[in-house]
Amino acid sequence: MSWDSFFWFALTAVLLWAAGAFFAWKGKKVWVYVCTLAGIAVFLAFILGMWITLERPPLRTMGETRLWYSFFLPVAGIIVYSRWRYKWILSFSTLLSLVFICVNLFKPGIHSKSLMPALQSPWFAPHVIVYMFSYALLGAATIMAVYMLIRKRASASEINLTDNLVYVGLAFLTFGMLFGALWAKEAWGTYWAWDPKETWAAATWLCYLVYLHLRKAKSGEWQTACVILLVSFVCLQICWWGINYLPSAQGLSIHTYNVK
Amino acid sequence: MWAKPWNMKEGFLIGGGLLFVGLMLQVAIGPIRWELFAWPVNLIVLVLLLAAIVVAFTLRGKVYAFEWMMHAGAAVPCLVYAASLTMLMGLLPQVRTGGLPWLSRMLQFWPFVLIWTWMMIISALASMNHLLRWKVCEIPFLLNHLGVVVAIVAATLGSADTQTLQLTAFTGEPEWRALADNDELVEPGLAIELHKFILEEYDDGTPKRFASDITVYTEDGKTVPGTVEVNKPLKMNGWKIYQYGYDVRYGSESPYSVFQLVRDPWILWVYIGIFMMIAGALCLMLFMAPKPVKS
Repeated sequence: MSWDSFFWFALTAVLLWAAGAFFAWKGKKVWVYVCTLAGIAVFLAFILGMWITLERPPLRTMGETRLWYSFFLPVAGIIVYSRWRYKWILSFSTLLSLVFICVNLFKPGIHSKSLMPALQSPWFAPHVIVYMFSYALLGAATIMAVYMLIRKRASASEINLTDNLVYVGLAFLTFGMLFGALWAKEAWGTYWAWDPKETWAAATWLCYLVYLHLRKAKSGEWQTACVILLVSFVCLQICWWGINYLPSAQGLSIHTYNVK
Repeated sequence: MWAKPWNMKEGFLIGGGLLFVGLMLQVAIGPIRWELFAWPVNLIVLVLLLAAIVVAFTLRGKVYAFEWMMHAGAAVPCLVYAASLTMLMGLLPQVRTGGLPWLSRMLQFWPFVLIWTWMMIISALASMNHLLRWKVCEIPFLLNHLGVVVAIVAATLGSADTQTLQLTAFTGEPEWRALADNDELVEPGLAIELHKFILEEYDDGTPKRFASDITVYTEDGKTVPGTVEVNKPLKMNGWKIYQYGYDVRYGSESPYSVFQLVRDPWILWVYIGIFMMIAGALCLMLFMAPKPVKS
């Protein structure tokens, strides 16, 4: 399996997801699950195929992490759909996934097979996969925040959904961060070095904690909470890819693998 | 303002006060020198910190501020300050020398440290409150809050006791000496003899594996053969031995291999904190998330 066959797998998956989203609007539950899960299976098949061909998990380049992100968005979408039955959620997740697929089609990452020794660790796959799943959930929470802010109103169930996405997303964010710390101890002898990527991971984590405690304190307006979600998501983007362009990380970060 | 019940406004003011005090300290006594916290100073600081928390907790009925500190409303401003300072740290290059005054060495910057300390105290107080109410349903809260405190306090206070040495071993010559951070030669109490440095490459020439075939000798007479490679350190007499470097001019023919020796006596507590946080995050997802409301 290689990036050459990506187009066909992605096309099939997106068509199936789109069909699932369509059936969600029509209220045909069984077909929603059949189509969405089939799409997820097709996409997963590509990822696993890449994994086998590359002889390493496809997690190193930005292109490869985008692959997981495109995969987890519909996964998060179908989970939210099965709990809250939002008709629009699958359309959203499909569209967002499509954006990342298009980025990969037009600007694929490095196609190299090699994996530098520092990344050869049993922690590598869980660290990145857990982070990508968290990013997908927190991305969905951000969309909810934007949606509520634009409409200037929020129903109890919409706020409830947003809270849930943040709780689960933050849990996975914490897993990702701590798996990273445990791995770093094995690889570099220190579990936390305040490397720019780690600093932004901490800032992101703290921002989502602000949201959580603000909601718990029950004293803030939902608008304030939504704005905090937007700020948090900006931090998350800086942590994910933004630091590659930050002066503070140039030559200092051990995490800027994709910049040569 | 300052009328009971306090909420976030008071918290933002207190945080502002801490920033101010921090700046004054920075001007008056300069950046924090973490090396001064080496054993047993860190133990004393820890005991004082715990005592302060217990006293504050006991007085919560008399002093309203202590009562207020245990609530989410107090956590919000503190987290906002901590997040903002951490973002600032992420934006500005952090360097040992040069750069901006104060802000290029955020970890030694008093306001940053005071805000994080405040966060730990709030979290510890809230934990005590939940601990004494002891019920099974308090476990998720405790894992999250106490976990953070244990991990961060142990990591911070323990940092001065962490020893990181560099040992350069040439093929066939057991080396007993290693270089400390301050360029001083010290004896870690073990020797490393390099048999062969191993560098494997992929077809495209990028490195695939760095490893060293070694024997470790200890002062108490142990002789242990082993292999150290990136991501696979070797544990020996309280030290962890990491593959660190080699002579890049010679590649796989490198006549020596550089090892990093790390000893961190507080690591167990950091791990305990980290595992509490992992369990806490699991609880966050499974038990703490609000119950779904259907539209």
